[in-house]
Amino acid sequence: MESVLEIKNLNKSFGSNHVLRNFSLTLYKGENIVVLGRSGSGKSVMIKCAVGLMKYDSGSIKVLGQEIKDLNAVELDALRVKMGFVFQSSALYDSMTVGENLEFPLRRNRPDLRKSEMDDIIKETLDNVGLYYAINLLPSELSGGMKKRVGLARALVLKPEIVFYDEPTTGLDPFTSSEISKLMLEMQNKYNTSSITISHDMYCARITGNRLVALIDGTNYAEGTFEELQNSEDEKIKTFFTHGLGKRK
Amino acid sequence: MVGGSLFIKLVKQLLPLKWKKQLEETGDIGRFTIRFFREFWRRPYEFREVVRQCFLLGYKSFPLVGITTFIIGLVLTIQSRPTLERFGAEAWLPAMVGISIIREIGPVLTALICAGKIGSSIGAELGSMKVTEQLDAMEVSGTNPFKYIVVTRIIATTFMLPVLVVTGDAIALYGSYLGVNIGDTVSFKLFYQQVFESLEYADALPAFVKSFFFGFAIGLVGCYKGYHSQKGTEGVGRSANSAVVVSSLLIFIIDLIAVQIADFLGIT
Ligand SMILES: Nc1ncnc2c1ncn2[C@@H]1O[C@H](COP(=O)(O)OP(=O)(O)OP(=O)(O)O)[C@@H](O)[C@H]1O
Ligand SMILES: [Mg+2]
Repeated sequence: MESVLEIKNLNKSFGSNHVLRNFSLTLYKGENIVVLGRSGSGKSVMIKCAVGLMKYDSGSIKVLGQEIKDLNAVELDALRVKMGFVFQSSALYDSMTVGENLEFPLRRNRPDLRKSEMDDIIKETLDNVGLYYAINLLPSELSGGMKKRVGLARALVLKPEIVFYDEPTTGLDPFTSSEISKLMLEMQNKYNTSSITISHDMYCARITGNRLVALIDGTNYAEGTFEELQNSEDEKIKTFFTHGLGKRK
Repeated sequence: MVGGSLFIKLVKQLLPLKWKKQLEETGDIGRFTIRFFREFWRRPYEFREVVRQCFLLGYKSFPLVGITTFIIGLVLTIQSRPTLERFGAEAWLPAMVGISIIREIGPVLTALICAGKIGSSIGAELGSMKVTEQLDAMEVSGTNPFKYIVVTRIIATTFMLPVLVVTGDAIALYGSYLGVNIGDTVSFKLFYQQVFESLEYADALPAFVKSFFFGFAIGLVGCYKGYHSQKGTEGVGRSANSAVVVSSLLIFIIDLIAVQIADFLGIT
């Protein structure tokens, strides 16, 4: 199978805080990997390194065959257009309306499009997340779940090949978070993306993840399908399931 | 080279912590400035955003600048009159007030007002964009936030401040004209004639030139503070606050340096 993202022996530390130690992971085309890990274990740091938001100390990250470290600013920007990023905090531009939030990446990266074509894409993407009616609202007027959905729409508007979801369902009620999980699944099939999802939400991990990776002590501690990890005898892995699943369903 | 780094290490050891932080921050601002000039020349030039920022930061400050400079022009005139009268020199009132406004009070007052209004708004805006990861979001969607947010704002403040200063000067002079007319009647034309007869090229030029530096300092400090905001909403408040404090201080320092340079060049 063709790999779209290859992380090898990634190391990253902040001062004496050694967050990632020889972390490795390979994402294949069309696959969704869910990364599990305790709060503060370095999950966000890992995907931020992958999109070039953070510099890593050593190791290699290859996205669509290109080594992130070796790219200059222009090449990195070109590559980033093929990656979508859904932030833990949504990170919507709060001076812009929902529509403008989606228009911004389009206008900046697709100067070839006419205004009407952009409007069509924006409408289609917002329709997909069920928020076309909110196109003229400001982020401050949205609920948490709506913000997450707009964040999702904004990440998908450029039709990226790889999408990173940083805790897309955290902080939402069970009903909304299962809705978001279903939406992610739907979008993955529709846009044919490969993705990495960070989640503590076992329902989300079960329905969206083809493969699960447990990030423990800065390394890829274990990986496998949901069932494989669920039936694991390892104490560290068991806790994800006993604590996570216990709350849902 | 080795001796140099040893020296720096030694100094670092000996300095009290607070000073060390201050020195480090000065270095950071220096790097930030260098980055500004590097990115300034790079494409894309973000012309649209520069114009939008000129409008948002510059044009919207006109009312505040107008009111304050008008009042200062008026008050300065009223308060100078008794002193000049004592020497029998009331006729010099327009000239004296005009020179103080154009040379010093106009630029510095306008810059301070803008440090308060523009500096804090840039600091708070960028600070909240930073802590809510909006700058990161921009970066991952292929737009360089330093270029799009920081460079455009610094350009806007650098070029709008002189415009604000010139307008502020004119409004202050108008205030002064009204002030003169409280005591006796002088026609508008005569007032301006008196002001401009006493003014020289050397009065206006250094004041105009230093306005660019004031504007640059306000934009730079506001952006720097916001861009390096600490996590949390408290960090945003602190960025806005220290943007005002530091840029106000810088304005006085630039003013001091400008007067020395003008003196040195013989433009006095
Ligand atoms: N910019 C930074 N500077 C210093 N330390 C950082 C920075 N970003 C993250 N860290 C540290 O790296 C570690 C991992 O952080 P990270 O945000 O990746 O955690 P996480 O696994 O995403 O947790 P959560 O589930 O709570 O989001 C933490 O100990 C954090 O303190
Ligand atoms: Mg995180």
